[in-house]
Amino acid sequence: MSDENGTLRKHEGGHNILMRFGTIMALAAIVAWLSVTVPGFIEGQNVLNILRQIALLAIISEGFTMCLIVGELDLAFPNVASLAGAIVAGLIFGGMHPFAASLIALSVGVLFGVGAGLLVTKVGIPSLITTLASGIIAGGLIYMYTKGVSFYGKLPESFLLLGRGNVGPVPALVFIMFVVVVAAQVMISCTRPGKYMQATGANPAAARLAGVNTDRYKILALTLSGLAAAFTGILLTARLGSANPEGAAGFMMDGFASALLGMTVLSMGRANPFGTFIGSLMIGIINNGMTLAGSPYYMQDITKGIIIILSVALTSWQTKRSER
Amino acid sequence: MSVLEIRGLTKTFPGVTALEDVSLSAEAGEIHGLVGENGAGKSTLVKILAGVHRPSAGSFLIDGRERRFGSPKDASELVGVVHQERELVPHFTGWENLFLGLEPTYAGFLKKREMRATAMRFLETYGRGLDIDMGAPAHTLSSGQQEMLTIMKVLFRNPKIIIFDEPTAPLSIRECEILFALVRDLKQKGLAILYISHHLEEVLSLCDRISVLRNGRYVATVDAAATKEADLIRLMISRDMKEQYPKLPCRAGDIVFAAEGYASARDRLRDISFNIRSGEIVGFAGLVGAGRTELAEALFTGSSRDAGTVRLKGRDFLSHSPKDSIRQGMVMIPENRREHGLLTQMSVYENLILPQLEGLSSIGFLRWRAADRQVRSAVERLSIKVASPSQSVSTLSGGNQQKVSVGKWFGLPAALWIFDEPTQGIDVDAKRELYDIMGHLAQDGAAVWFISSDLRELLAIADRLYVMKDRKIVGECVPPFNPDGVLGMMMGEKTA
Repeated sequence: MSDENGTLRKHEGGHNILMRFGTIMALAAIVAWLSVTVPGFIEGQNVLNILRQIALLAIISEGFTMCLIVGELDLAFPNVASLAGAIVAGLIFGGMHPFAASLIALSVGVLFGVGAGLLVTKVGIPSLITTLASGIIAGGLIYMYTKGVSFYGKLPESFLLLGRGNVGPVPALVFIMFVVVVAAQVMISCTRPGKYMQATGANPAAARLAGVNTDRYKILALTLSGLAAAFTGILLTARLGSANPEGAAGFMMDGFASALLGMTVLSMGRANPFGTFIGSLMIGIINNGMTLAGSPYYMQDITKGIIIILSVALTSWQTKRSER
Repeated sequence: MSVLEIRGLTKTFPGVTALEDVSLSAEAGEIHGLVGENGAGKSTLVKILAGVHRPSAGSFLIDGRERRFGSPKDASELVGVVHQERELVPHFTGWENLFLGLEPTYAGFLKKREMRATAMRFLETYGRGLDIDMGAPAHTLSSGQQEMLTIMKVLFRNPKIIIFDEPTAPLSIRECEILFALVRDLKQKGLAILYISHHLEEVLSLCDRISVLRNGRYVATVDAAATKEADLIRLMISRDMKEQYPKLPCRAGDIVFAAEGYASARDRLRDISFNIRSGEIVGFAGLVGAGRTELAEALFTGSSRDAGTVRLKGRDFLSHSPKDSIRQGMVMIPENRREHGLLTQMSVYENLILPQLEGLSSIGFLRWRAADRQVRSAVERLSIKVASPSQSVSTLSGGNQQKVSVGKWFGLPAALWIFDEPTQGIDVDAKRELYDIMGHLAQDGAAVWFISSDLRELLAIADRLYVMKDRKIVGECVPPFNPDGVLGMMMGEKTA
């Protein structure tokens, strides 16, 4: 079958554009529609607002994207984020310097990632199961650490700036998000570890026979996911000024959605950091636009779901049609 | 009246015509061969008959009635296809696979006893002499048995026409014989059989008539009894083939790789002693399962070694992973290029630089210019046909895919090149190019380890041969080779 499809794909040029840019076109259409129908949507302040709202989602999703790139899953990231957020708040309230507290919280994220990575590669438990379990453990640890109550109190101004400050007119969170997204994309497309991670996800057997230590790159991806989750947890605490035991739980669905939408951007079926950012942006825009338009909360979820199905369907349908 | 009559069948995909105005017919009780190079349109024709594709123009008649299949399921009652990829559910037993989709039920419950009994009876009638355990899960059967089970599954649907698409690719010589007997038996039972294979001798000995396709067009139908292999090749390719197996002259130098008394319990290998010199192509002959691939893989992947010494370039060869082996100068083009040799969804570019990334990056960042140079030189040196290196590997023909699988090692200081079945499933021209590639490597001083199940190419291309049987090396042959002697050793006769 390879040959017929082979010669075929060389010539598909035309609707390839729809496949590669379908999601971005859908995004543009949503933006255009909201700009016309919702007053104030397209204003500079609101654009910054949207970017600030999606910053945390984009950062945590980039971590999950790394897992998808090596062909693994991470179900633990929301709980790891909540745990890190609680730890950083707890330690600061206990009198520790915010910087040291953040480092400890980040190491907890790394520890979860490395642990999951070792279980997946060396013991051979599927990542779905490993991270489901490690996520449950993280959830338990949160309650052990917080006794189930939120940490409220006075956090030092220097720490809060991380979540609430501005760099010129740009919120610090937006700035951090761009740094993370660009760093992730550069790592994937321009560095050796990035290429090895892609190869690991594309075909682990072939990658290994080409001399790639696939175990190492799976561990790396899960570690980056843990790190991104912990970082998000810290930023969340800095933004809210408090830590809630389930603060980051909402990132599960939206994180998956961002990364999966991202897989339809640029290269069909391959997770990529830029695509994930577009995915997060899409979700942020829908949330923001519909809130401004005064739609009830539940309508946002329904709309988000439909848009995910539509944009993935569009690209899958194109792929399928070209193969028939 | 012909069972199958194809009238002016044409299939166009956006931008390409895969099949153009093809007409041919097959009778009941006939084995009709279908040959052509990769891309000649064989698969497209099969897919139309099997209801996967719809024709753009033309039609086909089965039993005198024009048929239009909406889906493969529609087609399956009339046309059975034995694909290269076996379509069995691995954990289902033989009889569960046989009945897949046709299960008899009573009030929603499977009538298992009836299914089992019917399956046994069916095997008794159609597959006499076949050694298939219908009660065993499909994945526990050998690849030959799985293929036979697949054929039984297709036959069970009682089609008028049965199409074999490269059925012998995964089979050992003995299993091939069983398959041929079965195909002849089906012919006796009055089925029309369409038989597709790259192995022309097999087609010539098995088929009654043979139709040739070239570049999507029908070329001719010939009588197998009155046709020679060279005639078929001439019909398949546009120009005359001067030589099917070009052999470049090379001079053997020092010993590059040597194993002495190597054994590995995990891979069930023992008594392995052989060597390969620089500038030499050393062939490994043997039946499927003799341990040729297993030996190469065990050494390359650094599997456990229980006895013996292995030396590469005069140094002890110690490896725990492909990465170690590559570093010491051993590279491998694995047997199954789609599963093990390539990252099929990734680009030609990415595939070609993957093993070289260490040399092509500084502090972790890719040096694009050096990578571009590397890719360009590999594409030129192997004349890989690509529109652009950013093209996905899955869009290439088998031959070009194989070249990518070779080219990714260029630029590394490789001393020993292992080619495991490099010409499997690629067309005649691409095979010649591959022999040239191996020859050039040898001329440049590489040691080439060449595993193949195609004895003719092995005898023509190799400078020396080792024969494996039952996971041991049972003999070494030097030219002039005696084909019967080699075959005898492969089968386990005492002659040398």
